[in-house]
Amino acid sequence: MIGLSFRLELRRSRIIAGGLALVVLVYGGLIAALYPILLANTAMVQDYMKLFPKEFMAAFGMTGSLADPGIFFTTYIGTFLWPIVAAIGAIVLATRPTAADAERGWADLSLATPLTRGRYLGAAILGQVVVLATLALVTVGGVLAVGTLVGAGFDAGRFLAAGAVLWLFGCAIAGVTSLVAVITLNRGVAAGFTAGVLIAMYLVNIVAQVQPDFAWLGYLSAFRYAGVGALIDRGTADWVGIGVFTVVAVAGWTASLVLFRRRDLLP
Amino acid sequence: MPEAIELRSLTRWYGKRRGVIDLEADVHEGEVFGFLGPNGAGKTTTIRMLLGLIRPSAGSARILGLDPWTQAPSLHRRLAHLGSDPGYLGDMDAASLLDYLGALRGLQKGAWRPFADRLDLDPSVPVKKLSRGNRQKVGVVQVFMGREPLLVMDEPSTGLDPLMQREFLTLVAETRAAGRTVFLSSHNLPEVERACDRVAIIREGRLVKIATVTALVGDHTRSVNLVLGRPAAEGAFALPGVTVLSSTGQDVHVMVRGDVNPLLRRLGELDVRDIAISTPDVEDLFFHYYEGTVAGSDGRVVATGGAEGIATEAAP
Repeated sequence: MIGLSFRLELRRSRIIAGGLALVVLVYGGLIAALYPILLANTAMVQDYMKLFPKEFMAAFGMTGSLADPGIFFTTYIGTFLWPIVAAIGAIVLATRPTAADAERGWADLSLATPLTRGRYLGAAILGQVVVLATLALVTVGGVLAVGTLVGAGFDAGRFLAAGAVLWLFGCAIAGVTSLVAVITLNRGVAAGFTAGVLIAMYLVNIVAQVQPDFAWLGYLSAFRYAGVGALIDRGTADWVGIGVFTVVAVAGWTASLVLFRRRDLLP
Repeated sequence: MPEAIELRSLTRWYGKRRGVIDLEADVHEGEVFGFLGPNGAGKTTTIRMLLGLIRPSAGSARILGLDPWTQAPSLHRRLAHLGSDPGYLGDMDAASLLDYLGALRGLQKGAWRPFADRLDLDPSVPVKKLSRGNRQKVGVVQVFMGREPLLVMDEPSTGLDPLMQREFLTLVAETRAAGRTVFLSSHNLPEVERACDRVAIIREGRLVKIATVTALVGDHTRSVNLVLGRPAAEGAFALPGVTVLSSTGQDVHVMVRGDVNPLLRRLGELDVRDIAISTPDVEDLFFHYYEGTVAGSDGRVVATGGAEGIATEAAP
C-alpha cells in the first residue's frame, strides 16, 4: 500500500522535479562551459574580484580562487543555485501531503481508506528523498557532463560526493518544512517559515564571515555546512556538516510522522 | 438490532467555537440514516469524528464496534467515505483516480466500471476538466464501488442532475437491500425523505430530533397553505400549535400540530381565497425544528424561531 502511495507521490512530483531539473541542468551546464575560460584567465579574474567589497564576495561564497573547481562549484551552485532549487523543491514536496492536501481534501479521501497516516506520510517522505536525490544528481551530473565536453577536468568522484552533501542539505530543508507543515497544516505559513529561516541563515553566514566578532554565528547557519569546496578540491569531507544535515533531516521527518499520527486533521 | 454507529455525548469544540455538543444517537446496522442540518450545523464535524480524522473533545463514538480514533486502520477497512467536496487530483483522469482509491481499499482494477456506466461517467477525462456534477459522479462511484458494510456520505448528490439523483437513490436502496448501512449527511431534504429510514436533525451543534421519516411526517402535523384576500394582521396566526413557516402577506404557509380548531376558527375571520391542507414533507419539518432566522430565496426573512415558542415575522 505504501508502494501505491509512493508511486502516486512520484507521479505528482513530475512537473516540479522536471522543471527544477531543467533549471539546474541548463544553469549548471552553462557555468561548467565557462570554467575553462575562467581557468585560462585566473589572474585577471582574481584582479577583477579584488574590486568588490569583501561582504559581497562572502555573500556569494567567493572565499578563494575561482580557478579551483570546488570554490567555483560552491560559489555558483553549492551555496547559490542549489539552496534556491532545494528550497523550492523541498517546500513544495514537504508541504503537499499534509498542509496542502488537508486544505484540498485529498488527505481526507486517502486517509478514510485502510492507508494509515504513517504510511501516507512515509510514502511522501520517501518521495521527497528520491526527488531531491534526483535533483542533486542532475545538478552535479550536468556540470560533470559539460565539464567533460569542454575539458574542464573535473573529478567525477568528488563531484558526486559533493552531490550527496547537496542532497543532504535539501533533505534537511525538507525535514524541517515537513514538521512545520504538520504543526500548522498551513502551506503558506510552512513555506514562509522555511524561506524566512533560509534567508536569515544566509545573512547570518555573511555576517559571520566578514565580522570576526560574530564568527560564532556561522555555526547557526546551514550555509556554513553547505560548502563543498574542500571536498571537491582536497577530498576533505565536512563530517560535522554532513552529520548536522542528516540529524536535522531525520529528526524533522521522524517528528513529522509522530505528530501527524496524533494530530487532528482540520481542513 | 446491532448498532453500526453509537454516539455517546459526542462533543467537539474548536477552541471556544462550537462544533457539536452532546450528540447521542444510534444508527442500526442495515438502515439508511439521514443527518440533516444546514451548513455550519455540525454535520461535517460529526463525520470527521466518525472517520477518525479529528478527536472528540468529550464523549465517544463507536463505529462498527471500533473506536474511530484509536482503531482507524481497522475501521477504514470496513467503511467507505465520500466527502462533501473531495479534493481530487485534477491532473489524473477519473479511471486512474478510481483505480488508485480502489487499490487502497483492496479492490480489483476497474471495480468502478459498472457504477461509472450507470452514472454515465466518462472515466477518461482528467478530473480538472469535469463539471461539478461529473466530479460528484466520481465521488458517488468511488463510495459505492466497494463492499464495505458502512458508507458514510457528506452531501453526496450535490450537483447531480435529477436523473443522476434518481440513480443515486437507487444505489442507496440497493445498498440497504444488501444489508449495508448508510450514514447520509445532507441538506437536500427531498433526498433524505426518499432515501432514509430515520433522520436526525442537527441544529447549532445539537441533535434536536431523531425519528423515522414516517413518524416525523405523520406526527399529527399538517401543512396548510393559504391564499388570503388581504394580508393578515400581525400575530394573526399566533395560535397554540401553529407555526408560520413563511408569509409574503397574502400567501401564508403554516404548520399545525395537534388540534386544528383554533386555526379553523381564525380562518373563519379572514378573507381566505384558497386553502390546501397536506401532510408536511421533511422540508417543512426541518424548518419546524430548526431555530433561527430562515431567509427566503429572495433574501427576505420568512420565518424565525423554533418549534416551541416560535416567534413569527411576516415579510413585508
